[in-house]
Amino acid sequence: MNAIANLSPDFSRRGFLGVSGVLVLGACLPSRGMLGQEHQASPFEPNLLLAISSDGTVRVTCHRSEMGQGIRTAIAQVVADELDADWARVEVAQAPGDVKYGDQNTDGSISILLNYERLRTAGASARLMLRQAAAKRWAVDVEDVRAVHHEVIDADGKRRLGYGELATDAALLPVPIGAPLKSEAEHRYIGKPVVHVDAEAITRGQSHFGADCSLPNMATAIIVRCPWLGGGVRAIRNKPSNAPGLVAIEILPPAPSAGPLFAPLGGVAVVAEDTWTAIKIARSLEIEWTNSPNHGFNSKALQESLREAVMKPGTPVPGSGKGDVDAVFAKGGNEVSAIYETPFLAHAPMEPPVAIADVSEKGAFVRAPLQDPQSARGLIASYLGMALEKVEVTLTLLGGAFGRKSKPDFALEAVELSKRLARPVRVQWLREDDIRHDYYHAPSVQHHRAIIDNQGMPQAWLQRTAFPSITTVFAAQAQAPAPFELEQGFSNLPYAVDHQRMESTGIRPGVRVGWLRSVCNVFHGFSANVFADEMAAAAGRDAIEHRLAMLPTGGKLNQPGMPAPAGHELDFARLREVIERVRKLSQWQRPRPEGVGLGFAVHQSFRSYVATVLEASMVNGRPHISNAYVVLDCGTYVNPDSCIAQMQGAVVFGLSLALHGSIDMEDGAVVQSNFHDYPVLRIAEAPATKVELVPAQGRLPAGVGEPGVPPVAPALVNALFAASGVRYRSLPVTA
Amino acid sequence: MAYTLKINEQLVEVDAASDTPLLWVLRDHLGLTGSKYGCGSGYCGSCTVHMDGSAVRSCQLPISSLDGRAITTIESLDKQHPQLIGAWVRENVAQCGYCQAGQLMSAAALLNASAHPTDQEIDAAMTGNICRCGTYVRIRSAIHHAAAERTSTGASE
Ligand code: FES
Ligand code: FES
Repeated sequence: MNAIANLSPDFSRRGFLGVSGVLVLGACLPSRGMLGQEHQASPFEPNLLLAISSDGTVRVTCHRSEMGQGIRTAIAQVVADELDADWARVEVAQAPGDVKYGDQNTDGSISILLNYERLRTAGASARLMLRQAAAKRWAVDVEDVRAVHHEVIDADGKRRLGYGELATDAALLPVPIGAPLKSEAEHRYIGKPVVHVDAEAITRGQSHFGADCSLPNMATAIIVRCPWLGGGVRAIRNKPSNAPGLVAIEILPPAPSAGPLFAPLGGVAVVAEDTWTAIKIARSLEIEWTNSPNHGFNSKALQESLREAVMKPGTPVPGSGKGDVDAVFAKGGNEVSAIYETPFLAHAPMEPPVAIADVSEKGAFVRAPLQDPQSARGLIASYLGMALEKVEVTLTLLGGAFGRKSKPDFALEAVELSKRLARPVRVQWLREDDIRHDYYHAPSVQHHRAIIDNQGMPQAWLQRTAFPSITTVFAAQAQAPAPFELEQGFSNLPYAVDHQRMESTGIRPGVRVGWLRSVCNVFHGFSANVFADEMAAAAGRDAIEHRLAMLPTGGKLNQPGMPAPAGHELDFARLREVIERVRKLSQWQRPRPEGVGLGFAVHQSFRSYVATVLEASMVNGRPHISNAYVVLDCGTYVNPDSCIAQMQGAVVFGLSLALHGSIDMEDGAVVQSNFHDYPVLRIAEAPATKVELVPAQGRLPAGVGEPGVPPVAPALVNALFAASGVRYRSLPVTA
Repeated sequence: MAYTLKINEQLVEVDAASDTPLLWVLRDHLGLTGSKYGCGSGYCGSCTVHMDGSAVRSCQLPISSLDGRAITTIESLDKQHPQLIGAWVRENVAQCGYCQAGQLMSAAALLNASAHPTDQEIDAAMTGNICRCGTYVRIRSAIHHAAAERTSTGASE
């Protein structure tokens, strides 16, 4: 298996291997024409995503962005499986942004869910065509030939033709409808652990991320942006007229101060022949900024407003009201009530935003780590007023994204500068830029209030949530949380209760809000799981026993507000199963040493079910997490090892936000700037992690990248309560 | 200013300002893009290389301080530590991969100093390397496997 084509072009590999060690230009040139050169003329291309050349090479084109989730591998696994190809002869190419591929927006943990059948069909159709081609050549019935492991074989097993030998003939056949798909038992790659196609190149330092590409005569830009959203450049007090290596200092117009917020932020671009020169000059600049309505924005004040909001009635989720909550509260009883708070978060992918662009009258070429190259292409075309066909957006590997790179603002910056300077430009964001100018994960406050019986069962449950909606980046007037945000762990609360009300409030923030891995599930999963634990604790019950007792034994959730798509409704039996399994996996009943506690949480999101148990204690006044146990039910999965990796990674990501993450704004400006004041989890804090996958059982595929995150923070808080008796209700936990 | 550096066993000439960090020398001047920029301030370890066999943050080392030093980058790690590369690939350690060159260089320096590190030693040696994707448990396991393989093949003797 090779990961070639435009992510790791052959010529650069030759360069690296041919010259021992150094003095090799790590260029990765535009992909224009590259695939055509690498492959012989007219390969057998029964589908946009699959081509077989006459030497037998199978090229699978991945049209989704690779950011560590292993999608390039998974897509190839599915196609190669139905094709019954030899994995060693499969290559993966990366698609540019183009509507012809269908949806390319790599977010929402939806790549496999959206494409599973289509990819299987692509492989199966090609396999059938290869059989048809062989049958024709041998003048036998197609039913009498088999296609196995890159060969078509006749009934006696005497005659054999390789896929490559049949490719030219197969290319002349019409693409069949209804080609037979394999049964689960016949799968060769689907459901099997496969090392990622890019693993080898990554491990040898040979793969290409956004900053690793260069174009001839390319300059590098560092942009100094206004600390508050919507401010522009009034003056540069010390603009250098000339410095060695300096190419230009360009003033970029400010972003709007309110949605839609997809334009670049503007600022002062320092363009230089090399990165360090640009950094040095950018850091030396003294810039006066113009005001904007966001200059007065203060995250502490916003948090206070969110707190006030949940103490008042909000907007009821349509259809969520059940029974008479107020009457039960008026009657009184054993009341449990709590407020939960989470802060702004930055994505901080290891690779900060970076993009290269080469714009001329002839067209625009962009190469960048983007989650949605297709929408980026459209935005760039309209930004330049250029025909879509003249804009080419190609991808590198994404050095992490977590939602940040779904916005192509950094690519637009490169486009603008390249156009102005009439040469290729790379825009490199520094870590400080990344932390201070992100599309931030929204802060939130929830208020949960319940009357419970002596078993901890809620008789009445009122839940309120308040947060700045992501819709504020789409429209200047937007304010209320959208149904799709509430559907993330709030309006689809799965517990049976006779009297229930759900209310929400949105408050406009003075910064850009964005998607962060599992989005509103982060805070809704947190508050609901901790509150459930509080109800169990108030009744003195085992948390898992209590949770199972709160859940219906079967059936599907009839979800108010925004119903789930058919076949993807929350299934109580599946939710119960991950709980039962994590209870076993964690040896929940086994007594832990004094001071060590277990915490449990479960959450359904992106159509997958995840139950998590963390084992934690307080050591020298800080939380110490010794073990993590995770059970995932994502229906049919393609690569179990990638699923396990995503759960392991989700534990780390979840603990980062539970223990460390917090972004604050003062006078519109973000206070934090780098990993010293926006710390993320380091290796010594990462617990040993056991992951179990629920067998696929022919179920529909569901999300994997995000659903592991929501249960982590509540499991931690619940474990710390079990360990120390102290209940932490605000994130990050500051013990 | 012109400097002569020893990088991956080769002498190379670089013309750069005296305060240019080694990271940018490698990436911009020599086209060795395996070492990554993650923070520029010594916090993340993405830029880790070896200087005379020890792990250092190349974003913190100005070119003027490298006279007479031997620098090794990820691009030639397989010469000394093929077992690490092998274990990393077999265990599918990398997710996005951006931090991994730095992780591998820190792991290699650890194995140079300690043939069979414990989990605690691994945590201590690797604490300067952030992985936002959270591959830490696999990093620990891959280091153990590489250490075992090195001993069995006599590579660490
Ligand atoms: S880039 Fe050097 S330590 Fe982060
Ligand atoms: S693998 Fe992505 S940051 Fe480590």
